[in-house]
Amino acid sequence: MEALKSAFDFSDFPRSDLFVAGALVVLLLVFPLFPHSAFAMATVIQFFIFSLYGMGWNTIGGYGGQVDLGKAQYVGIGAYTTAVMLIRWDIPFWVSMPVGVCLAVAWSFVIGFPLFRLKGHYFAIATIATSLVLKDLFEVWDFVGAARGLEISPIKYTPPDFLRLIFREDIYYYYVIFAFFLIGIFYINWFRKSRLGFQLRAIKDNESVAQSLGINVHLAKVKTYAIATAFVSVVGSFHACYIKNIEPEDTMSLNISILIALMAMLGGAGSLWGPIIGAGILIPLKSYLKEWLGATAGLVGIDLILYALIIMIISATEPRGIWGIVERLRRRKPN
Amino acid sequence: MDILLSSLVAGIMFGMALSLVALGLTIIFGVMDIVNFAHGEFLMIGMYTGLLTAQAAGVDPLLTLPAAALVGFVLGVLCYAGFVKYLLRGPMIAQLLGTFGLMLFLRNMALLIFGANDRAVHQGLLVGKSIDLGMGVIIPATKLAAAGLAAVSFGAVWLLMNRTKFGKALTATALNPQGARYMGIPTERMNALAWGIGCASVTIAGALIVNFWSVNPYIGLLFTMLAFAIVALGGFGSVPGAFFAGIVVGLITEIPGFWDFLTYTFDIDWMADVPMTSFKYMWVYLAYFLIMVVRPRGLFGWKH
Amino acid sequence: MKRTLKWTTAAIVVVLAFGLLVPTVVWAKEIKIGVIYPLTGGAAAAGRELRAGAELAADIANNAMADLEMAMAKNAGIKSMGGAKITLIFKDHEGNPTLGADLAKKLILDDKVDGLLGCYHSSVTKTVSAVAEQYGVPMINGSSTSPGLTERGFKWFWRTTPHDRWFTKDLFELLKGLSEGKARGVAKVSKQDIMKLASACEKTEWGSFTSTLVEEFSKEYGFDLRKSLLYAKEAPDLSSEVRSLKASRADVMLFASYTSDAILMIKTLDAQKVQPKVLWGQDAGFETPEFQQTLGDSIVGILTRTVFLPKVVEVKPLAGKVNKMYKERTGNDLSGASARSFTGLQTWVHVLEKAGSTDPKAVQAAANAIEISGSELVVPWAGIKFSTSGKEIGQNELGSGLIGQYQKDASGNIGLEIVYPFDVTTADMIYPFPKW
Repeated sequence: MEALKSAFDFSDFPRSDLFVAGALVVLLLVFPLFPHSAFAMATVIQFFIFSLYGMGWNTIGGYGGQVDLGKAQYVGIGAYTTAVMLIRWDIPFWVSMPVGVCLAVAWSFVIGFPLFRLKGHYFAIATIATSLVLKDLFEVWDFVGAARGLEISPIKYTPPDFLRLIFREDIYYYYVIFAFFLIGIFYINWFRKSRLGFQLRAIKDNESVAQSLGINVHLAKVKTYAIATAFVSVVGSFHACYIKNIEPEDTMSLNISILIALMAMLGGAGSLWGPIIGAGILIPLKSYLKEWLGATAGLVGIDLILYALIIMIISATEPRGIWGIVERLRRRKPN
Repeated sequence: MDILLSSLVAGIMFGMALSLVALGLTIIFGVMDIVNFAHGEFLMIGMYTGLLTAQAAGVDPLLTLPAAALVGFVLGVLCYAGFVKYLLRGPMIAQLLGTFGLMLFLRNMALLIFGANDRAVHQGLLVGKSIDLGMGVIIPATKLAAAGLAAVSFGAVWLLMNRTKFGKALTATALNPQGARYMGIPTERMNALAWGIGCASVTIAGALIVNFWSVNPYIGLLFTMLAFAIVALGGFGSVPGAFFAGIVVGLITEIPGFWDFLTYTFDIDWMADVPMTSFKYMWVYLAYFLIMVVRPRGLFGWKH
Repeated sequence: MKRTLKWTTAAIVVVLAFGLLVPTVVWAKEIKIGVIYPLTGGAAAAGRELRAGAELAADIANNAMADLEMAMAKNAGIKSMGGAKITLIFKDHEGNPTLGADLAKKLILDDKVDGLLGCYHSSVTKTVSAVAEQYGVPMINGSSTSPGLTERGFKWFWRTTPHDRWFTKDLFELLKGLSEGKARGVAKVSKQDIMKLASACEKTEWGSFTSTLVEEFSKEYGFDLRKSLLYAKEAPDLSSEVRSLKASRADVMLFASYTSDAILMIKTLDAQKVQPKVLWGQDAGFETPEFQQTLGDSIVGILTRTVFLPKVVEVKPLAGKVNKMYKERTGNDLSGASARSFTGLQTWVHVLEKAGSTDPKAVQAAANAIEISGSELVVPWAGIKFSTSGKEIGQNELGSGLIGQYQKDASGNIGLEIVYPFDVTTADMIYPFPKW
């Protein structure tokens, strides 16, 4: 009960923030009711997906300050669990999703305990390494379709199928992922004020001080890593039903890991709104720039060039990301 | 037996070429404690420089090495002065984000300019030539050249670091930037030079590698990862460490060859069915992970 | 502070609004076919050919060309639809299945295409056809050969090209023929000499299915498969794969490779002096003009399965005329890729002509009932007729394959000669594979 109250309590944010956030939520809620292109719809769904990835990453990477660049392996575990269970044994999404979370979390413990012996750069690179090892294994594992991947047949199920999460129209997926998105926000809101949340910030500021305060640093990191993993795995499961075709090269690629970390870092690691702002700016930017300037205009890659420039400018001027800029402006002009 | 020998030789050759790739990364890390995710992208730029100048000027790709070095040096100094300098003020997370941005920027610039197609060198002095050592060991001339250049470069950098005033100044900057400043060492310029030399060494490696690997804008990441593994195994900042770690990594990528040796020497059927070549790089990552967990400072590390 | 937030909000709202306002323009008398091909990426070379093949077919369909004995050249546009013209909307999938599916959705929902054509890579065809199936939009595939594609029971997917099960069987028939002395110009070869096989295939849908087929057939025909490996088509270096092939001491080596990896593979085999007796490629990369231009003399003796090679012109005058038109546009001869892309769009034209409308149901019925005679086609098939029952749905039953071998003619030009089927050969087969 206490936890729920804490999750819905946003009172430490200025009222203007909440007003903007509320307006955006309403806008997103009614967006599908207006005429829109399939492309816009897909873009907003991508925004939700990457916001959720970013929120998960933000727990360990932002609040905990451990730069994790291997989240794609958990996207893969979630997606593959759901796809394999659906295809082989016809187990619905709502069962396979928690199973996927359990598997992903179990795997995160297996590699998390040794992984957190490393710090800084060494940790970041080691997370990449573990993710690539898992991807290489999936690429030859016949049970999960090896490099060919798995296809959820579009004709085997009659949409809309709410149990298996098989729909034809994107609007269903939209509201499902929107619900996850809201739950994610409330969870993170609770998390940042929880015991673990405060422990993490202490660790981020100074590990040895945190240790001397009696915090089990290693365990706190591993636990948070598991939370981040769970987030990513849930969305991975959703991704499997949404895309209906998963391959190691696609779901577990290093690019996904990097994008996840980038968006959260760009928006502002260690703040509630950071990953959402990051995804909200980068995802539409990426898909619309690609649409307007990409292959059709013969300017392949220009979207990511602009994207990279934004990242470079922000990292060189304001290491705390866009949210850092907002906060700095706020301090300058107290209201 | 010939399978074993040829794998050993190929592993060492490839390892030496890889250590040349990692040399620049280890110099930069050694001097200023920053992990450069765009490292592989510099290699890619070196590869394109080699390929395109050779085609445009109609000369042998081997003769483009100075051009590649020049491009790398200028680019490295520019990157430092225009961008990395500002990153160094921020926390580690901003450095990661920033060099990531640099990586994306360079990669997509290449995509915009050169297109996504794979390109390869098809003509050249060494291309297609090979030396048959007997016993089934065939060394492509291009790889031999790369290995030779790697050995020379390492020797040169080692001498530079240990036997010259400039090297001592660099080491001083690495160990204690503030102290170095008090001693009258222009640390800013040292950092810029370290970036210049680091990037030049990797673009040279690129111009050589393009003689036997094809290039596309996405190639950088694989080499960044391999270079990271090498630098971490050798100990961040250790020049001789990177050389030996490079050879170790080269040999690890040859595990499929050793596996084949066992398979066909003892004629074990099930071993032939294991898709060993698919795991080529996986062993490198796994070895990196395991060694780092057991020995967080790498095999020859001196700086933490 | 407030202003920043407002700006951020405004930016997001503007971006969303642009999405809402994408106009849907409907042109009268125009049939829109979405064509999804790999125009950039590792198979860009093949993509250019595929595109040129489809564009040539669309031109012939949209304009009356009296001197061409083809039904679709008779009238300008689709006659049964009042001369409606065909417009092709090209999209680039870069060899990426997820991107392909996205593009298909966009084509169907935003561009409102009447049908789809594509996608070369079997892995992409798989995801794109799944989207088409969901939305009930007809899709014709001309060039993806993974057998699995038509074994999924789809009702909106038709494939004109024969698939790898036939092609791989052809190869084993050729090997069998060699051991029985049936190959033209080659004395009977002892089966022991070509007993040991090794394969290296790219690891996505197409290559890995080929790999399984090779395994299946080598058991059925009694060959010893010593090694079968899969590699990434983007691999910049294949030397350890090639050394592994060499270690297996195979007599016959089989490859399923796209463009850039096929070139790399042959270069590396050459550098490592791997000396098999038979070297066979599963089409795709092995018959692109790039493959011939880059590797020059070293490809003499390489076999590749195909459905079209310039020699077909000798037996099919129609193919000669189309080939001439194609060469005028691109400077290259028709190849398996371009000829099949051409045939794919040609099939679309016939289906539309028969359906008389773009209503999906009518198109579906027309496609299931279509019968195109072999004399209409540039490829040497008996015709086009899709299976509507059994294990395979939507597969053209009348296709067939050829095996060609790169040979040098008297004037020193390298080209493909037909060596299988044995009754239509155009030259003696070179056996064993010459020393590099």
